[in-house]
Amino acid sequence: MNVVKRTKKLKALLDIRIGPGAAVLSNDVKRIHLNFAHKLNDGHLGARKVWRKYLPRLKYHNPAISMTVNRTLDQGGPATLTVFFAPPPRSSSATASPAPSSSTDPSAAPSGHAPADRIETIDMKHKHESEILSRLLELTRGITYEATPDELAELRDVDEEQKRSERDREAQARLNEIERQEKALLDLARGGVVAA
Amino acid sequence: MASKIPINYLLSPIRYSAVNVPVLKCFAPALFCRYASGLSRKDYKARDQPKKKKKQRKEFKNQSLRDTVQYSLCDAMRYIRAFEVGRNPTSCKYDLAVRLRTAKNGPVVRNRVRLPHAVNTSLRICVICPPDSPSAAQARNAGATLVGEETIFDAVKEGRIEFDRCICHVDSAQKLNKAALGRILGPKGLMPSSKTGTITKDIAGTVKGLVGGSEYREKLGVIRCAIGQLGFTPEEMQRNVRAFVGEIKKDLALLSDRIGKDIHEVVLSSTNAPGFSLNGDFRSPTSPPTRDLGVL
Repeated sequence: MNVVKRTKKLKALLDIRIGPGAAVLSNDVKRIHLNFAHKLNDGHLGARKVWRKYLPRLKYHNPAISMTVNRTLDQGGPATLTVFFAPPPRSSSATASPAPSSSTDPSAAPSGHAPADRIETIDMKHKHESEILSRLLELTRGITYEATPDELAELRDVDEEQKRSERDREAQARLNEIERQEKALLDLARGGVVAA
Repeated sequence: MASKIPINYLLSPIRYSAVNVPVLKCFAPALFCRYASGLSRKDYKARDQPKKKKKQRKEFKNQSLRDTVQYSLCDAMRYIRAFEVGRNPTSCKYDLAVRLRTAKNGPVVRNRVRLPHAVNTSLRICVICPPDSPSAAQARNAGATLVGEETIFDAVKEGRIEFDRCICHVDSAQKLNKAALGRILGPKGLMPSSKTGTITKDIAGTVKGLVGGSEYREKLGVIRCAIGQLGFTPEEMQRNVRAFVGEIKKDLALLSDRIGKDIHEVVLSSTNAPGFSLNGDFRSPTSPPTRDLGVL
């Protein structure tokens, strides 16, 4: 594992901590369930983007909220985001139980889940991911996580690094191009000699 | 022949299009001392000299951990849970990579370990022994799904193979050979044999080892192994990681002094997450409550 690779991985971690979707939801949210199709035709793109871009950040800041995704093969079906509300749990002692439920299994559909006080549904079909996110934050009274100065400084460093590597990449591409031309010329000359 | 080259040179379109192309060596005056094969004198010299041999490294290269960011178990799990959000929890697993300081040659660490919390719980085990013998009862107690002799042979011959591992008692080995199941079970790697330790007297012990047991071996100086299901709590993970690393340490201690291997780094990862180097702590002051981290 070299140092450069590690820095790149750290960028991914920073992306999980800050950015759109990094918010602490109110503590009566129990579960968030996404239901959409495998492919993006017919308005399922926003739903997938929510899962890929925002859900990791939400999960990082709200580890206690269960977040599940179910992708159906029915392309014409609905794309919904369901939020389950339940009264916040009393501080019960942690019990170790190795019983992970199967969250992406269609049989474990949201309806049959633990008692929820209130269920709210957001229709995600034909909507942009940012629109869905703002609707979700509004519904769950999410408080956006403010990046600390340290994290902002780190972000600046990463950006600078990216700019630098962009510049280096271009320089190297120019060099490679020159080398390639030189080689082509050389081959041409060699080929001419052999043909003669 | 020599007259052709300048023409080539003049006709070359690249020469005119690219302004910054440096003057090529083959078109410099040195051109005149070319050999028939097209190589210059300098090229010949380089070819005749023996190539300098690069010094081979005897040990796997390990990066210094001084500047590495390391994580406590809870923090690493928090990140991993975020990366794994919405994935199928039955197909995604935590896995552990243990980097060793070791020579490239010599013996490799290879063993099997029984973790306190099994990673793969759906393993079906078949035990071949007389169904009314005491070892059959032991096997059932230890978690075998199929126990018997003739019934199993018949089922297998009909093509119903409803198990992932097969063990045979020593006393039943002859009957097994007579039933000639080798052609059916052999290609699937299910045929019991004393070489793989699946024909045994100690049925209970072997079955226990198979249930929740996992094999590991060192490859390129790293031991990798699935260490937990995504729904595990940090406490369970801690016990599993401890058991696994402890087992490796035992294996390393068994090797002779001359070989000397030791653990360099322990990295926790999962199917869809990057690797997190662990610092050995259970949790940091900023970690969330451990109860939350098991939530899917």
